Amino acid sequence: MRLLLFSTALVAGITAAAQTKPSSATFGMLEARWLGPGTMSGRITAIDGSAQDGKTIYVGTAGGGIWKTTNAGASFKPIFDKYCQSIGALAIDQQNPKVIYAGTGESNMRNSVSIGNGLYKSTDGGENWTLLGLDSTEHIAKVVIDPANPNTIYVAAPGPLWHSSPHRGLYKSTDGGKTWEKSLFISADAGCADVSVDPKNPQTVYATTWEFRRTPYSFSSGGKGSGIYKSTDGGKTWKELNKGLPPKPFGRTALALAPSAPSNLLAIVENKETGLYISADGGETWKQQSATFNVTARPFYFSTLVVDPKDPKRVYRPAYSFAYSDDGGFSFAEASSEGGWVHSDHHALWIDPVNTNKLYLGTDGGVYLSLDRGVTWQFFGNLPVGQFYHVAVDNQQPYRIYGGLQDNGSWVAPSAFPGGVGNGNWTAIYGGDGFWTIPDPIDPKIAYAEYQGGNMARINLATLKSVTIKPTAGPGDEKLRWNWNTPIATGVANPRNLYAGAQYLFKSVDKGANWVRISPDLTTNDKRKQDQEASGGISADNTSAENHCTIFTIAESPLDEAMIWVGTDDGNLQVTKDGGKTWTNISKAVAAAGVPAQTWVSSIEPSRFDKNWVYATFDNHMYGDHKTYGAVSKDGGKTWTMWQSSEFAGFAHKIKEDLKNRDLLFMGTEMGLFATLDGGANWFRMKNKIPDYTLVRDIQIHPRTNDLVLGTHGRGVIVVDDISPMRELTPQILEKEVHIFATPALPINMGSLGAAGFPSTGGWNGGNPPNIQPLQYYLKDRLMSGDVKIDILDSTGKLVQTIPGGKRKGVNKVYWNLRMNPPKVAAGGTKIDASGFTAPMVLPGTYTMRLKVGEREYTQNLTLLHDDANPDFTPADRKAQYKTAMELYAMQEELARTVETINTRQAQLKALVAKEGDAKAKKALQGYHDELETLRSTLLATQQKSIFADEVRLRERITEVYTAVAGQEAAPSNLQVQSAAMLRKDVDKAAADLINIAKKHSAVAQRLSQPDTAPKPAVKTF
Amino acid sequence: MSGSYASRLQKASGMPPFQINYMYTTTIKRAVLGACILFSGMAAVAQTADEIIDKHLTAIGGKDAWQKINSIKQEGNVQVQGADVAVSITVLHGKGSRQDIAVMGMSGYQILTPTAGWSYMPFQGQTKPEPVTADQLKESADSYDAHGALVNFKQKGHSVEYLGKEDIEGTETFKLRVTHKSGKTETIFVDPASYYIVRTITKQKANGQEMDVTTNLSNYKKLPEGIVVPMSIGLPFGELTITKVEVNPPVDEKVFKPENL
Repeated sequence: MRLLLFSTALVAGITAAAQTKPSSATFGMLEARWLGPGTMSGRITAIDGSAQDGKTIYVGTAGGGIWKTTNAGASFKPIFDKYCQSIGALAIDQQNPKVIYAGTGESNMRNSVSIGNGLYKSTDGGENWTLLGLDSTEHIAKVVIDPANPNTIYVAAPGPLWHSSPHRGLYKSTDGGKTWEKSLFISADAGCADVSVDPKNPQTVYATTWEFRRTPYSFSSGGKGSGIYKSTDGGKTWKELNKGLPPKPFGRTALALAPSAPSNLLAIVENKETGLYISADGGETWKQQSATFNVTARPFYFSTLVVDPKDPKRVYRPAYSFAYSDDGGFSFAEASSEGGWVHSDHHALWIDPVNTNKLYLGTDGGVYLSLDRGVTWQFFGNLPVGQFYHVAVDNQQPYRIYGGLQDNGSWVAPSAFPGGVGNGNWTAIYGGDGFWTIPDPIDPKIAYAEYQGGNMARINLATLKSVTIKPTAGPGDEKLRWNWNTPIATGVANPRNLYAGAQYLFKSVDKGANWVRISPDLTTNDKRKQDQEASGGISADNTSAENHCTIFTIAESPLDEAMIWVGTDDGNLQVTKDGGKTWTNISKAVAAAGVPAQTWVSSIEPSRFDKNWVYATFDNHMYGDHKTYGAVSKDGGKTWTMWQSSEFAGFAHKIKEDLKNRDLLFMGTEMGLFATLDGGANWFRMKNKIPDYTLVRDIQIHPRTNDLVLGTHGRGVIVVDDISPMRELTPQILEKEVHIFATPALPINMGSLGAAGFPSTGGWNGGNPPNIQPLQYYLKDRLMSGDVKIDILDSTGKLVQTIPGGKRKGVNKVYWNLRMNPPKVAAGGTKIDASGFTAPMVLPGTYTMRLKVGEREYTQNLTLLHDDANPDFTPADRKAQYKTAMELYAMQEELARTVETINTRQAQLKALVAKEGDAKAKKALQGYHDELETLRSTLLATQQKSIFADEVRLRERITEVYTAVAGQEAAPSNLQVQSAAMLRKDVDKAAADLINIAKKHSAVAQRLSQPDTAPKPAVKTF
Repeated sequence: MSGSYASRLQKASGMPPFQINYMYTTTIKRAVLGACILFSGMAAVAQTADEIIDKHLTAIGGKDAWQKINSIKQEGNVQVQGADVAVSITVLHGKGSRQDIAVMGMSGYQILTPTAGWSYMPFQGQTKPEPVTADQLKESADSYDAHGALVNFKQKGHSVEYLGKEDIEGTETFKLRVTHKSGKTETIFVDPASYYIVRTITKQKANGQEMDVTTNLSNYKKLPEGIVVPMSIGLPFGELTITKVEVNPPVDEKVFKPENL
């Protein structure tokens, strides 16, 4: 790279007293693409809509923020990307639907639930948000606005899941959220799960309380703090309701009132025998109504119960499946599958209060719409909020992306596809909850996937047939304990190795057909943490989510297959240096660095540069500790250095070392992606279209494309294309005013992907990486005065193209299409001609990129090569194509000159005609004009009024051949070459005709100011 | 950045260039209106908003310099796939604004005046100018405010609200919402170093739709008349480079009447 540095740039480098600190801004246009997909969406936790128009709807998600539609769902936009992505509740002020409250931290208290940081309010339809407070509640189940007085708001906060806390209960504000008081508080272990306000008498408020707790190895729903309460003084005083209700203790209670007859209440009470209870007298007395499967299913997880706004007898119970009742809950019917399968596990329902036939349903797999009161459903495929646990890439061209999702199985998709990667490009390869989904590093037909509890399989990607490969216990082994999210790993040093971990580590060298146990129990094997069958609390709930004392992460050293690292969910970090013969538990060394005992080892990354370097992250949130723990050891695990940064937020899931620059690290946490350029001394939050608080569960870097691939738990797969500029940004370069990044030799092509006909219709489209290699440069600061342009010069110094350049701080990207400028085409017709936008590709050779930043210039050589990767386009083909394309290019320019001469003369003649008094002279002038017009009308379209009425003249005939030849990677055909020769004659004839007409009218022609000679054909030789 | 976007778009979509061009010109049509905010003003209510606006106005040459402007003419071009689209903008204070767009000898325009507006985009066969919608007309008053909406915005009936800081392409800008007297709202992002506007996002209503039009502004230049204007206007499909600005040229009001009605 050649860099012409002018003195100012040097001076700037030297005088930089204040060091430029890298931040997200440094990376400028290294921006993320959201690959989605929308085909399997993610858990939806809240939906509210505007009754005024019935088409402005807000969707809150478990880990993907808030999405807004203003067109009933035809398109959605994310509107909460700077804040916590886990949404528990949404409420619109129906009197002023621009006012929205968003409670963060969903309250579907499963093992993988995220954590919120308070209640937010927007007064402009979601464009700007203010944090109102309640920031320690962690989970918010419901926000209710008093319909009579919208400044009165109730917030039901179940509160923290993993620890005791006073920050729970029912909160009330009477000033639009400025100040809060706690209206109902039971204990540090029991919060508020539901609240309803009587719309006809808003002083009457109902609330349910809930005692619950998780540990990493158990769940308990229910206790003496659970109950149903009523207030008749706006929440000042409360009485517990119990007449006709079952004996306590309760678990979680879902409560609903009928808005059109609000003394009618329904409650699903989790109990020894969970059931639906109804009251017709405002909760004073109750009777049991129904206990069908879907009503009683999993009350801690399914807490939604809604009564039709107009019809008090129409009751909806979205739960495991969708049930509805027409008789106030006496009997229930299930939704039909006529409109297609509806994802199970429902958490949100919005009924349009004006058109109560119209329902929006939120499930664990996205949003559905019903127009027939819930009988049939249509899916919205345009919400890319999938919850990935892990992501992996292979080495195909384009590479494929693999991942497993919460409640949505395991999937594979290409990273690029003509027209962009859409929903249809994703293939489901395995079911259940998906976790590790990994390609076999050697065999491109094979991938490994699993569902919860270690149920793993080898999958043939061509047929999607699977073979179960879950290891089973050997003689003398204890019962195998498999984590919910059981680790499967392939070898890096030796890609034949396949590992899986229960409490023991298993290894296979034949794709899981046969296994060898290569470790003793690597966990603490604490028996007190292994009573999962008793888990659930009042209702049994034991789905492997609480399995504990298990291996959680496995990593083989990229430098030595005998060196294997294993982390457990109960605080052990173990390493073997002899392929599993002996193991060393280094948890004490980790504890010495400040990681509490028992903390989950969430990821391990052995360095690819030094065998003794290893990175790890630790996650202690299940003991109520949200700190970001990430650390490095440079002595094989003996001592650890914990990273510290004021930027950190969220418990850590994943650490990733760059493949080429050992100082470049990425860390994913529950609240964002962080990066360091100096091996962990300084960290910053990566934004660049990565939503600030995205739950980043996994990180990969593709070895060929240098793409950063994120598996997020709520925003699907996010890709930052080609992060290689990040590797180049040393502190020295950061101090430069301008830096041009090295551009690899560029094969000349029209991109790796063709066009795809129609644009994608509906669904989510994650786009493509840039089809052409960008030219990239760094600006230390944003340029507000002065321009940025990029000139491309050929080897003779001739200007090929000028491209406007970005002026933003950090990395800028500019795309040169590897073409020259299009020809000037004949002007003055009635349609736009495509030749004017079509330029031939340049030929291989050395070019110069001249970057002009304000008054300064920087240059870099560019090497352009013939693209040998395309066997259908040889160097000889390229030459032939160039020759014909340039011949046609020249014809367009010559024709343009002929037409320009005509246009000029006609304008003059018109003016003369207008002034001429003598009739005969006037006629002569007009005659010349008209004959020129006759010629002109044969040279370009002069009549066409519509794209549907094609008028083809000489310009258009050249265009047909020219755009075909210049617009393809192929030699011209025999007929295209023949056409070019025929067109050449026509272009020459046009010039000759013009001369002849001028001769014929030579008397008149003398009156024109321009020298009356025909345009000279341009001299072009090839 | 944006020109290349257009080429990528074309590659990705496989759309014929003229179609891109059409989208492009219609976007210019919308965005140029957004760009005209430079010559129009804005309004502020909160103390902080007032301060930011004052500093901004000082940065762009000061209120007095702007108030001396009765007319302004700008010429420029956008490169689409290497082809030139010529754009010219004429504003006569309080009387009207006109944008002309020319491609390959074909030209279209949009005219906005206090009483009427027309749009003529013949690139896909439109043969007569069409009146703009009532919404557009109502919200286009700032397009012929040659002083810019922010100069004396309060007297003009606009208001400005400071919304805090927001990261725009790596710059922590001041975010302000300008609510025009017409009801139109736009968000402006002010560079804290230069107090120039980095970006505007205008909400445009048309035929029952509301869409955000984003315009990026850069390459600010001080003119002999003392005002400072952006010479680069980033539109969704390309960058409009202003090549010539005339301040207070004579403008015949006839240009605000469509010639081919």
